[in-house]
Amino acid sequence: MSDKQRVTRRQFLTYTLMGVGGFMAAGTVMPMLRFAVDPALQAKAGGDLIATGLKESEITNEPQRVDFKFDQQDGWYESQVTQSAWVYKDNNGDIIALSPICKHLGCTVNWNGNEEFPNQFYCPCHFGRYEKDGTNVKGTPPRGPLDRYDYEIKDGVLYLSMRAKPRGGA
Amino acid sequence: MRWTAKESALFFESKEYIDTALVPLTPIAFDEQGRETGNANEFIQLITMNIEKQFKGRILLLPAFTYFHSESDDWKNQLLASWLNELKSNFKHVFIISTDQSWKPILEKSGNEFIWLPAVPLEHLEDEYKTTIIEGQVKQLLNLFVMKWQNAVSQ
Repeated sequence: MSDKQRVTRRQFLTYTLMGVGGFMAAGTVMPMLRFAVDPALQAKAGGDLIATGLKESEITNEPQRVDFKFDQQDGWYESQVTQSAWVYKDNNGDIIALSPICKHLGCTVNWNGNEEFPNQFYCPCHFGRYEKDGTNVKGTPPRGPLDRYDYEIKDGVLYLSMRAKPRGGA
Repeated sequence: MRWTAKESALFFESKEYIDTALVPLTPIAFDEQGRETGNANEFIQLITMNIEKQFKGRILLLPAFTYFHSESDDWKNQLLASWLNELKSNFKHVFIISTDQSWKPILEKSGNEFIWLPAVPLEHLEDEYKTTIIEGQVKQLLNLFVMKWQNAVSQ
């Protein structure tokens, strides 16, 4: 018994203080590390994409309206959200998915919504207009271009992001 | 716009653009008509929320003008008349919408924009059909608003 190495009081205190100090240091350093690496841990945008039921082959040069639904937790209230998009392929064959929400006060815009302004998006509320690529027509109420959805093609089907993102002003 | 904290604030900021009020008239009853009024309430809510979504920037959707079915006509008429007075001094266009037919003669005679809709029984409908039916109805109603606005411009 007596030849087993005994822990002196000094050693005991050193170990204890090192242990506690180590935890305290970890407590401050860990969140910093977590913040630093956070962007890398974020779920890929692909995780939030919603299937629209529109096949890639059905997308033409003419904007068409697509509705897609998903469940959203809003506080304690779960609701089903229906979003709409105007989808078409531009001259380069890239897919463009525009939000139909007018940038003026939030009405719903329609492609070719007014016979007097063919090939434009038209807002019936205050006669705002947008070009095919979503750029607002100068002299009409909207101050910016229509928002765009992120998109992805999976198994030939169009997936869109839950929310559309604003673009820079025109 | 809806009458919520956020949107009412936006309403006061952009008041000159929001020139149209939409008022649902919603009856309540606790007798044998009770279930019908419950259905009608849901129906009108869905319809008006859909209209509001389309025309968010120009229409203010008011909380429903709610009354008991059993209340006397005189009382209801008086109260609604004072609502409409107040609304007309703040909005260029006031649309009234209801499933309750009894309003029809009075409101149309006094030259109001009154939309009467027969309520569709929603109780046994699945959500998907519900949406289709509501959207179909709303599509037809949207024109009423657009036409009214265009007439106001051309005058």
